[in-house]
Amino acid sequence: MINLLFFGRLGDFAKDVPATIQASTPAEIRQRLSADYPALVKELSQPQVLISVNQLIVGWDQPLADGSDVAFLPPVTGG
Amino acid sequence: MNSIRIQPDDFDLTHEYQQLRELSSTVGAVVTFVGLVRDFEADSTIDSLSLQHYPGMTETLLQEIVDQANKRWNLIGSSVVHRVGELLPTDQIVFVGVASQHRADAFEAAQFIMDYLKTRATFWKRVSQDGKQSWVESKDSDAHATARWDSNND
Repeated sequence: MINLLFFGRLGDFAKDVPATIQASTPAEIRQRLSADYPALVKELSQPQVLISVNQLIVGWDQPLADGSDVAFLPPVTGG
Repeated sequence: MNSIRIQPDDFDLTHEYQQLRELSSTVGAVVTFVGLVRDFEADSTIDSLSLQHYPGMTETLLQEIVDQANKRWNLIGSSVVHRVGELLPTDQIVFVGVASQHRADAFEAAQFIMDYLKTRATFWKRVSQDGKQSWVESKDSDAHATARWDSNND
């Protein structure tokens, strides 16, 4: 299973999303969520959203190992 | 010393400065920056601000930024403190301090670290205005400030 994390404004769209999912790439995660969470998937598809796997920035086609943490990161606003 | 701390607690500017000042007798310049919580966002006053981050990844990204600064400038030490959790207008939110032999290194490195922190480090601000909460949008001006360093490569 893959652990899902949604930060910033993405978290507001992901309140009811399960904490884990079965998927082989981030793109597959997005595809699996599209039926039940269309508003979230629309937000995830914004070009500014970054994906990290185990805290490293990756692309949508990154192969996922079982137990990976996949996080979706909107543009940062610290400082 | 390159210290990176993410904490809910406030920090003491004098203490942070002393830590950098006392690193070595070769320290000839210390530049410090403190960011505060403004009482307005998008032309409207705010009641409070909440800061979220991605534990672990934030520290790693900040370390990478500090490592880059150390490659570009001749630094003796640096310190970054960023607060998370609930903050109020006028609260201190971020500290960046840099110690070097000569002032130009410390001035430029402090600005570089802040510019990259604003656009790379995984923090997200949410403001409360009139009882409503909203996430702060990223600013183009911050991206431009960071891009400036890319075109300025040594």
